[in-house]
Amino acid sequence: MNRRRFAARVKLPTFSARTIAVGYGVVSLLVLAMFAGPLWYAWHTNIEQVRTELLRSDTQRLENLFTRSGEAALANAIDSQVVGTNDGVRKIMLLTSPDGKRIAGNLPAWPQGLPDRDGLCSSTIHVDGSARRIEAMRVTLPGGYRLLVASNLNRFDELERLFVYGLLACALTVLVGAVLGGVLIRRALLERVQGISQTTAAIIEGKLSRRLAEPHDGDELRLLTHTVNRMLDQIEQLVTGVQDVSNAIAHDLRTPLSELRARLEEVAITRPDLDETYAEIDAAIGDIDRVMSIFQALLRLAEIDSGSRRTGFVEVDLARLGDDVAEFYLPVAELKEIALTFEAGAGLNVVGDPVLIAQALSNLVENALKYAPEGGAITVTARREGERLALSVADNGPGIAEDERPKVVERFYRVDGSRGTPGVGLGLSVVSAVARLHGGTLTLAENAPGLRATLVLPVHAMAAHGTVEMDGRPPAV
Amino acid sequence: MKLLLVEDNERVARFVCKGLSEAGHTVDHADNGRDGMFHAVSEPYDAIVMDRMLPGGIDGLAIIEALRQQGNRVPILVLSALDGVDDRILGLKRGGDDYLVKPFAFGELLARLDALLRRSHSHTLETTLALGDLSVDLLAHKVTRAGTSIALQPREFKLLEYLLRHANQIVTRTMLLENVWDYHFDPQTNVIDVHISKLRQKIDAPFTTQLLRTVRNAGYMLTDRQ
Repeated sequence: MNRRRFAARVKLPTFSARTIAVGYGVVSLLVLAMFAGPLWYAWHTNIEQVRTELLRSDTQRLENLFTRSGEAALANAIDSQVVGTNDGVRKIMLLTSPDGKRIAGNLPAWPQGLPDRDGLCSSTIHVDGSARRIEAMRVTLPGGYRLLVASNLNRFDELERLFVYGLLACALTVLVGAVLGGVLIRRALLERVQGISQTTAAIIEGKLSRRLAEPHDGDELRLLTHTVNRMLDQIEQLVTGVQDVSNAIAHDLRTPLSELRARLEEVAITRPDLDETYAEIDAAIGDIDRVMSIFQALLRLAEIDSGSRRTGFVEVDLARLGDDVAEFYLPVAELKEIALTFEAGAGLNVVGDPVLIAQALSNLVENALKYAPEGGAITVTARREGERLALSVADNGPGIAEDERPKVVERFYRVDGSRGTPGVGLGLSVVSAVARLHGGTLTLAENAPGLRATLVLPVHAMAAHGTVEMDGRPPAV
Repeated sequence: MKLLLVEDNERVARFVCKGLSEAGHTVDHADNGRDGMFHAVSEPYDAIVMDRMLPGGIDGLAIIEALRQQGNRVPILVLSALDGVDDRILGLKRGGDDYLVKPFAFGELLARLDALLRRSHSHTLETTLALGDLSVDLLAHKVTRAGTSIALQPREFKLLEYLLRHANQIVTRTMLLENVWDYHFDPQTNVIDVHISKLRQKIDAPFTTQLLRTVRNAGYMLTDRQ
């Protein structure tokens, strides 16, 4: 494997964390704008309405006064209201005579720039050389008097300024909060991602046994890390499996192949008589068949492990399947004077691959037949335990030592002393792979004396696959 | 019988052609998909041995599918290096009659081919099968030999029925495993041999002539010929 290339420092995905921080700020500002916008609008229109109304009512009042009591009373009223107040800062009033002369009010003369008609208008006038924006109401009174009532808009500027400053201060606070929050979120995320990334980088460099730290509190990342860890378990097991297989192939395939080579070479060199040559050829074919059967078992294992068989799952009656397998091997057992019995409980339907389950059970029975002593007993049982079905094969042979049990399910592993017996050492690996395919397990236990091998399958293999219960590790023993 | 072999590997083809000719068949050989297709549609064959992966732009399964679409019912034995159970199922679903994985023993090929040829010639639904003085009533599940009734277990009965349907023909252990037990794996023990010897105990042992014979390096044959 090109380790150097993978060893290059893995670049952390800072982009998405930064995006989160920026997005957090933008969203905060948007929320603020959504609040302030309508507030600003309501405030503004409301003030305008109140102002206009005041203008109208003031004008109306003065007009009435003029109609009731005449010019002098109006002039008095005006002067009492505006003369002495700060020169047109808030309210502006002016009454002129029919010839245009000022009678009362706080303007020296009729201002320039006002339209020459009665009614409401907005304009800018100049008083004492300074510009004032006003909203004015002009009324022509009977006899040619003209009345101007106006409010100074400039005095609202201060309020508006305050409002805007307030908003800006708010926005700034929110922005600072958002940036801070974003930075914190980003740092928290980066910390978690960095941990995952560093562990992953170590795994890429070949430290396959490393695992992600799983947080104890049940947050979202826990689910992810748990799933990733399970995936890593599976990968590690597969990689180890491949290494084991390479070693095993080196040994178990090399042996028949070197025998074959020696056999053929010997025939080629010594040129024996025809009968012997034919015998050697037959033996060579036997060698090839041995190699082929190892290949076939390996390919079958690979096929099972790939999970592609899951598409062909159907309802399988384990009582029937177990009975068939037991019946299939019964004559062999009888020949060895072994009592082979099958016991089935009720409710033994499972969703799975009948061909593979039959093969797995056959492998277990063949194993038991291989090791059970003459006159011994093998018991095959199928029973339901809640949502799981257990197919077990118990013999009273020598059993397997506890520390050897995890190893026997490994590919090509053979218990010492069994090298002489037929078989390629893949039987239990196949059973274990079948169990995994169905989301179940293979357990090997003491039968005192002998071995009890149990294939546990969930009733609904498809549903069970992928839950936390399913364990990708070698079967627990 | 007139057979067609479609196989691109020259050595395998030569070996199979020679073997089939020695077994008394006439064999045409095509070494690519195009020629194979041409032969298969233009001449009547009793059976076709078809490699799955072929050069010539058209593979074995495609040829089989095309033949079946034309209503051609010729028995076809598919040869393949693909050993997955799904590969086997696909091969049969596309119209193959049997599936043999490479590398194969020639005896296995010949036995399976004979079984296919026999199947295509006996379409009648028999209720009794007989060979020599052995007769089996398929409806009543009764076995008699020379007037003596023989009690068989259900699976033994099925085994005998299969052997009788392929009487005078070699049947291999794999054929028995697949057809009598419907198992598609190789038992590591000689379990088939034990079943056969048990059956032999019942149908042959008490009698003078042996019907169920072992054919060395191949399998078994139920025959009354000498």
